[in-house]
Amino acid sequence: MSTNSLDFLKNKSQWLRKEIFEMVIRVNQGHIASALSQTEILISLFYGGIMRYKNKQPNWDSRDRLIISKGHSAMGIYPILADIEYFDKIELKKYGTPEGILRIYGDKSIPGIDSTSGSLSQAPGIACGFGIACKRDNKDINSFLVLSDGEHYEGSLWESAMFASHNKLDNLIFIVDRNKQIILGKSEECLRLEPLADKWKSFGWNVHNIDGHNYSELLNAMNKGLKKNGHPTVIIANTIKGKGISYMEDVTRWHNTMPNNDQIIQARKDLEINCIK
Amino acid sequence: MQKNYLDFDRSKNNQYMRDVFIDGVYEYAKNNPDIYFTTPDMGAPSLDNFRKKLPNQFIHSGICEQHMVAMAAGLTLMNKKVICYAMAPFITSRCYEQIKCSVSAMNQPVNLVGIGVGLGYADAGPTHYTTEDIATMRVFPNIEIITPSDEMTTKKLVKYMFNEDKFRFIRLDRDVLPAIYEVESLIDFNKGYAEIIKGSNKKIVITSGYLLHKCKSIINNKYNGFTLVDLFKIKPLNDSFFEYLKEFDEIITLEEQWLDGGFGSLILEGLCEREINKKVLRFGLDQKFYFENGGRDYLLSSFGLDVEKIFHNLK
Repeated sequence: MSTNSLDFLKNKSQWLRKEIFEMVIRVNQGHIASALSQTEILISLFYGGIMRYKNKQPNWDSRDRLIISKGHSAMGIYPILADIEYFDKIELKKYGTPEGILRIYGDKSIPGIDSTSGSLSQAPGIACGFGIACKRDNKDINSFLVLSDGEHYEGSLWESAMFASHNKLDNLIFIVDRNKQIILGKSEECLRLEPLADKWKSFGWNVHNIDGHNYSELLNAMNKGLKKNGHPTVIIANTIKGKGISYMEDVTRWHNTMPNNDQIIQARKDLEINCIK
Repeated sequence: MQKNYLDFDRSKNNQYMRDVFIDGVYEYAKNNPDIYFTTPDMGAPSLDNFRKKLPNQFIHSGICEQHMVAMAAGLTLMNKKVICYAMAPFITSRCYEQIKCSVSAMNQPVNLVGIGVGLGYADAGPTHYTTEDIATMRVFPNIEIITPSDEMTTKKLVKYMFNEDKFRFIRLDRDVLPAIYEVESLIDFNKGYAEIIKGSNKKIVITSGYLLHKCKSIINNKYNGFTLVDLFKIKPLNDSFFEYLKEFDEIITLEEQWLDGGFGSLILEGLCEREINKKVLRFGLDQKFYFENGGRDYLLSSFGLDVEKIFHNLK
């Protein structure tokens, strides 16, 4: 675990976006736009001094746990897991192929994936299992969860939210990748989720409502979450789906659409300029 | 009020299966802080004892089976031994996708304990009956399904459960069931079944749970000659079981389930895969929902499991 400079983190943003894009394009498998909205969240966790882990040791007992609850974008974490040497970088080139260990949705067979995900809002319950086990064993292990806003429609999320609060699981930090898009349109037009922060507050959580592409805001909220006060923490990170690729940003159809050749060229041009200033 | 066939046993101070089970778990849990018991608000006197004495190992999940099962997977991922306890219909169907993705797909050794299988909650109606739980749960590749039929089996099951970590569905009867076994050595969970009555090699009756007691009584008292087997482990069924079935001319299965996908169906499939040709007669509940009163025996008799009539016709 180390705390890096803002410039370092911003460079990581650009690196991760490029890696994700090339991984997906190579095999036409994945959810580019969803992975691009969560980029700064993951960079903050791994390179911003938030999560405790050891390079090369994905099974280190005392590591903090992380589940990409929005399993469709779990592939967005693979370049980081390779970078911290949980597996060989060559695996990124083999993503989505029969020879590789990496696939669209993260599962337990992949080093660094603490839980299989893909079915929305099961991971909050799993995180509660992590949280209450660590609490009762007096183990100082935090569990982080990256949630989509779409998962907020699942009732099981609120079951777990109620449970975590009642049991004072302040070792849980959930980060909502609030990109406001679901497959058929904007969340607020399909079925209103707002006022989302108020909903979490009413369930007894510490709530931070921030810009999910701003490292200062992300790290500030995450560090507040690390200070235990008897309540679990949720960070509503307001993001832009498809962030960094001009024609994808906040456009509904890009949830699982693959770009054509012209669009690939355009995306590569876009990604040459770091969208995180 | 209609009396059930086994009602008389309640006057003999026999224990409910849930209490035998939970007391057994308690004996292990008091010496192992990694054993956790969680429930979405299902009670038992034995559980009152457990949660009073071991509050750190008891978790009230809230009345939310989906959360409970996912949380249980989180606990086992942190190396806890976990028992989830709820009414049978709710611990199977309500949280089915959590069982699939969070437990089975990650092969987590969660023990799902369903109470009141079959029509155990008569006359509550279809919301509280589980007439399909074998069909729905047997499809998971790594599951073990166990139905204890008496106190001794339940006690031995607890021991087996803590000796071997597996993803399990344990089906407990709601009623007090009398003893089947006199010696524990007959109950072998690796074998999975036990011969309760040795009859001729013509007709073998395979059943478990509440119906096992009814069949035992009828064979002993009225229709001698049948061999009776307690199939306490429904899945997986091993090769030795099918080798054993080869000895018989006719196989009869009785289950407090709809027949689609039940254990009669499992046996048929097993016979077919092994190219064993036998006459098989399956008896189960009529495939419909029952909104009627009269008690468990009345409902069984009315909807396909009139055991007296079945044996009369089989003899």
